[in-house]
Amino acid sequence: MSEPEKIHVIWLPGQACTGCTVSLLNASHPNVLDLLTGFIPQAAGVTLDYHATIMAPWGDEALKSVDAAQRGELEPFVLVLEGAIPDESLAKASGGYWCVIGEDEEGNPITFSERIDELAKHAAAIVCAGTCASFGGIPSGKPNPTGAMGAMEYLGKDWKSALGIPIINVPGCPSHGEHLAEVLAYAVLAVRGFLPLPDLDSDHRPMFLFEHTAHENCPRAGLFADGKNSHEFGEAYCMGTMGCKGPISHCDVPKRGFVEGVGGCPTVGSPCIGCTEPEFPDPPTSPFLAKAPASFFVAEKIRSFGGSADAVWSRIKDALTGRDI
Amino acid sequence: MGKEITIEPVTRLEGHLGVQAEVSDDGKTYTDAHSFGTMFRGWEIILKGREPADAIWITQRTCGVCPTPHGIASAMTVDMTYGAPPPPMGIALRNLLMSAEQLYDSALGCFILEGPDYSQAIVEGSNPDWWEAAQTADASGAEYHGYATIADIMTALNPISGALWVKSLGVEKVGRKMAALLGAKHPHVNTLVPGGIAKTLSPTDLEQYASMLSQHVAFSKEFIPVMDDLLDFVLSMGYEDAGARESNLVSYGTYEDPLAYNANYADMGEWAKKRKVSPGVILDGKLVTQDLIEINVGVQEMVERSYFEDWDDLRVKEDPVGNPLTKYHPWNKHTKPAPGEYKKWDGKYSWGTSVRWLDWKGSGELNTVELGPLARMWATAIGKLVPESTGTSLKFALPTATVVPYRNSAAMEFEWKIPEKPNTVERIRARAYWHAYTSYVTYLQVLQGLSLVKDGNVKVWNKYKKAKDGIGTGLHEAMRGGVAHWCLMKNGVIDNYQIMAPSTWNSGPKLGESDLGPYEAAIVGTPVSENGGELSGLDVVRAIRSFDPCLACSIQVYRGDEKIVHIAEI
Repeated sequence: MSEPEKIHVIWLPGQACTGCTVSLLNASHPNVLDLLTGFIPQAAGVTLDYHATIMAPWGDEALKSVDAAQRGELEPFVLVLEGAIPDESLAKASGGYWCVIGEDEEGNPITFSERIDELAKHAAAIVCAGTCASFGGIPSGKPNPTGAMGAMEYLGKDWKSALGIPIINVPGCPSHGEHLAEVLAYAVLAVRGFLPLPDLDSDHRPMFLFEHTAHENCPRAGLFADGKNSHEFGEAYCMGTMGCKGPISHCDVPKRGFVEGVGGCPTVGSPCIGCTEPEFPDPPTSPFLAKAPASFFVAEKIRSFGGSADAVWSRIKDALTGRDI
Repeated sequence: MGKEITIEPVTRLEGHLGVQAEVSDDGKTYTDAHSFGTMFRGWEIILKGREPADAIWITQRTCGVCPTPHGIASAMTVDMTYGAPPPPMGIALRNLLMSAEQLYDSALGCFILEGPDYSQAIVEGSNPDWWEAAQTADASGAEYHGYATIADIMTALNPISGALWVKSLGVEKVGRKMAALLGAKHPHVNTLVPGGIAKTLSPTDLEQYASMLSQHVAFSKEFIPVMDDLLDFVLSMGYEDAGARESNLVSYGTYEDPLAYNANYADMGEWAKKRKVSPGVILDGKLVTQDLIEINVGVQEMVERSYFEDWDDLRVKEDPVGNPLTKYHPWNKHTKPAPGEYKKWDGKYSWGTSVRWLDWKGSGELNTVELGPLARMWATAIGKLVPESTGTSLKFALPTATVVPYRNSAAMEFEWKIPEKPNTVERIRARAYWHAYTSYVTYLQVLQGLSLVKDGNVKVWNKYKKAKDGIGTGLHEAMRGGVAHWCLMKNGVIDNYQIMAPSTWNSGPKLGESDLGPYEAAIVGTPVSENGGELSGLDVVRAIRSFDPCLACSIQVYRGDEKIVHIAEI
């Protein structure tokens, strides 16, 4: 088979903590080396052209690929954003900046947002790693001192790449490493036409990862249905009475675990804090030890009653008419 | 003035950092430097008005590389603010969470962030004389690590393709998996709560943890011999003065004694002395104090050269036991951001702040100190508070661990010796030995945890009743050095929360004209070793990376009056 066409990745950090990068290193199947070395040809040819935390070069030399991508000379490339985007007009008012990445030829600083302005014109796709890049995250928490926001707010919710791909959000604080690896692998396959565009929810999260809530995915949810709640930390029952926001958070970590299946927030006994949600870290995700709104439990009980009635009725039907399968 | 270079961004570190450096006319030495943080978020401003407990989750997110020590510093701060001491098992599990992160993070620092600077990929082009000598330099620890020459080690350090680079990536993940076992996830562990830990302890958790620890024990027995061989070679090429600065260091200490910690400030000096890593201030190579209360009172954060406004008021005149505080102590700090001009060397030029230690019981002077694994190994070795300390070294042994595919299963003895002075090489060596010492301490902690279980001491959390007003602090160590948080609570919410990361101290700008920050001081006087092609600043980035910068959390947020304020998190 001929050499696959290269797909470049520019991974640009803004108001970030590097947590999503570290989390990506947790991914196993695929892992980072799989992504970069390409075991199957359809996913091969990915080059990580810029990632400040792991790349060998520094300074101007490091930024050459970013500068080329901004000029449209590095195609196709996937732009991965990590961290929120601050409102530089607030800093400019006093002659300063919030977030700078490198300098122009005259030695003037180039802000993170100025780079995004140019990169967005040429990117084949934009993937937001984590809640900060997706929705603003903690930097945008009240009172949002730097005017921080996510890419969808900065570029507009209707933004689409030249290939017609909307912004893809992979929230989580940090994003789950496997979520990121799977979405990047998905993006590569989609850019090459092997997969259709992923179905996204209204917050642009891929449905295959974010459709269900942490509560729906929780191994302790069955205990809740059975009426067993924890009232002290350390107990092995539902954490909803201890502040768990599982019912209002879209996340599969309780089921998936966090590093190679190990961990998961309510799974090990800690309350979900709603870190995949656009409101994080403000209410209703916080205060983190405050209980989630009670309205959920009323709605769930009604649905649960329907499920129980269905279960009983299906047994009566078997008894009356025989079992189909 | 000779040539001036600006490196922005400095890569292979956490966060956004730039550095400007000047080279002497003869091109042989760096003569001036400015270290500047180029990103601000405002955590301290965002924290104001929230419940103190929320800080345990929020402050971890200042840094995704070293979140757990922030979480533990915050949990201790909130324990103290609420008056909520945890049960012994709660502390034992916090210690194991802390260890898990240290194990991953020291390998990350040595192999992913700093290692490439000494790899064939970089050395062959920039230090061709080193590369040539490395071909015939035998590695004395070959029996333990399997690399015959220094050149073989350098090749194994190459990013992505090198055997050591790849191996470290795998073992780092094991460390984060240990954190996920007890902390639900990593980065940003989720189980730290005031009064203990939110973990349902299963009967086999400690054994699962120990199994993963054994991989780190086995890894350490290759890791240390590799780094000793590499670093001794680098020193032999005339690198003693690279990154060198005076022997002024501070350690808060870490790894709590589960039976001593009581979250009470008045007793902090006592329980901190029972930590497996000792607190200590070292000035000019001499141990000045081991009292964590005295160390806390001496912490001073100033914004003269930073994009922040100064403040005048003194809200907390004394610490809870009556020691005098200055307006620059973090309990009194305000975070008022004032974004300013880029690279204004004669004025404010960084989102970082200038942190100094005030010798308030002694000389009354401000001291520029560095924090990090070198500082805490030094303070522990000189301190004689733990049996492993000899006064000039730390002696300990790693237990037998049979783990495929590692080479050395037999027990192995180690001795880390206090070096002549802090420099690029010794900071990295201390980071490597920190991995071994942490592996050793963690093994003891697992055994202690099993004893607690045997005694029926399995309660992980003490119920508490939130106070309305309170004051607290939590000082211990992150990978990159001492991390500390301070909180003032009024009416059940945060009135002032201050975060000070190790890189806040190390990366800070000058104070006045001539008092350089630690990065800056380390660069000045560094000889230029590069002799292949155009000057790239390799020795500058090596010096900076020897501190293992973690910029996101070093810039703080604070809040002033109504509006903001400012924060610098670099």
